[in-house]
Amino acid sequence: MSWLVGALLELTALAGSLVVLSRDPRRQVYALCANGLVLALLFFALQAPDVALSEITIGTVVTPLLFFVALAAAAMNKARR
Amino acid sequence: MSILAWCVAAWLFGIGVYGIVTSRHYVHLIGCLAVCQSATYVLLLGIGFRWHAGPPIFYDHPPGTPAVDPVVQALVLTDIVVSAAMTALLLAIALQVHKRRGTLDPQHLRPFRQEK
Amino acid sequence: MNTTARIVLLVIALVVLAPAAGMLILAMPAFGHPLSQYGDVVNALAPRLRNISNMVAAVNFDIRGIDTLGEECMLLAAVTGTVMLLRGHRGEDMSERAGRVPGRKQPSRSDATVLLCRFIATVLFLFGIYMVLHGTVTPGGGFQGGVIVASSFVLLYLGESYRAWRRIVLGPALAALEGTGALAYVLAAALPLLGGYAALQNVLPLGTWKDLFSGGLMVAVNYAVGCAVIGSFGVLLLEFMEETRAPENDPVPDEEDE
Repeated sequence: MSWLVGALLELTALAGSLVVLSRDPRRQVYALCANGLVLALLFFALQAPDVALSEITIGTVVTPLLFFVALAAAAMNKARR
Repeated sequence: MSILAWCVAAWLFGIGVYGIVTSRHYVHLIGCLAVCQSATYVLLLGIGFRWHAGPPIFYDHPPGTPAVDPVVQALVLTDIVVSAAMTALLLAIALQVHKRRGTLDPQHLRPFRQEK
Repeated sequence: MNTTARIVLLVIALVVLAPAAGMLILAMPAFGHPLSQYGDVVNALAPRLRNISNMVAAVNFDIRGIDTLGEECMLLAAVTGTVMLLRGHRGEDMSERAGRVPGRKQPSRSDATVLLCRFIATVLFLFGIYMVLHGTVTPGGGFQGGVIVASSFVLLYLGESYRAWRRIVLGPALAALEGTGALAYVLAAALPLLGGYAALQNVLPLGTWKDLFSGGLMVAVNYAVGCAVIGSFGVLLLEFMEETRAPENDPVPDEEDE
């Protein structure tokens, strides 16, 4: 099992870096989704099913949706101006 | 292996701060802040983890079998939910900035400039 | 401050802090060998003392229950702040017309999407409720179940149109649910005080181990948190979506100006 935890930890570092390095906010949202999914898998591997359940919902559904809606609202404000 | 988890936590926090410093878009900046927060999740769960132990739920296996630390899990659990609400608050502030100033670039904002 | 100056500051901070971080990493306990006894004590005592099988719920709702009360208030404050910020500019009225970004194509939904979303949203909603109800027995609880129920609202939006979503998801009901949940938590913490007990002291009968209603006061607190989280995230999603609606006096937004 130790290789699984190690691989997921490295994957987490990679996913977090991708979130930061994707400069276009619209693309960053997808990176955030992937980051949430990887974090949830890591939490499962770390024997934390409770935390993984909340992370998989918050990280892949709720937060990305809020980001998308905020970007759409900003684009509409810009068009209205 | 024994220090990999701490290195990952430090790396996530560091790269999140780097993203915040160099960000040119408030929504991107809030995403970087989420990466910083995930560093704390990795650190806390790493502290409580124990090799060859099960989850701290004694439904299938009886109490007394080795289990990981439930206290840090409870901390992280509530933190994730509250941090989502805080992200929403930050996004709302960013939207207000965009409505008033017409930009989401931190470098185009000056603290005491007259509103256009 | 321009980008170069920021990066210079960051590098200086990094050079100063990196040795400290390195020393800290080397001084940490080895991964997989925790030093703290707190978790072990909880694992050993809580099943016996509280007849509960989910230790995370035991820590959240009983052993560190006052901390969770603080978290609950933070959630309430954050949601209230967000709603006030968003409504401050827009007003309190609600609209059923979805706005659109000029010049962006809007593909219509396929029947498969609508069917799949209706089906999965229903299943997800029930699963979230199940999660809340079984919080003290199996993995899950008010926080996780609440966000799962809220995410089923998102699927409803994806499958139906904005207008239909607006009719299904009732804002005042969600706001009431949020307030009721937070109030119920505060009452659960305060009522034992009247009887001369400590705040949040578990005065209810504890039930039997592995039973749906095991844990005494924890069951009530768990439901309260579930209500509050469903309400908060529902209100958040609703208010953010409202931000993208069409303005009242706008013509039908079909013109293709960039």
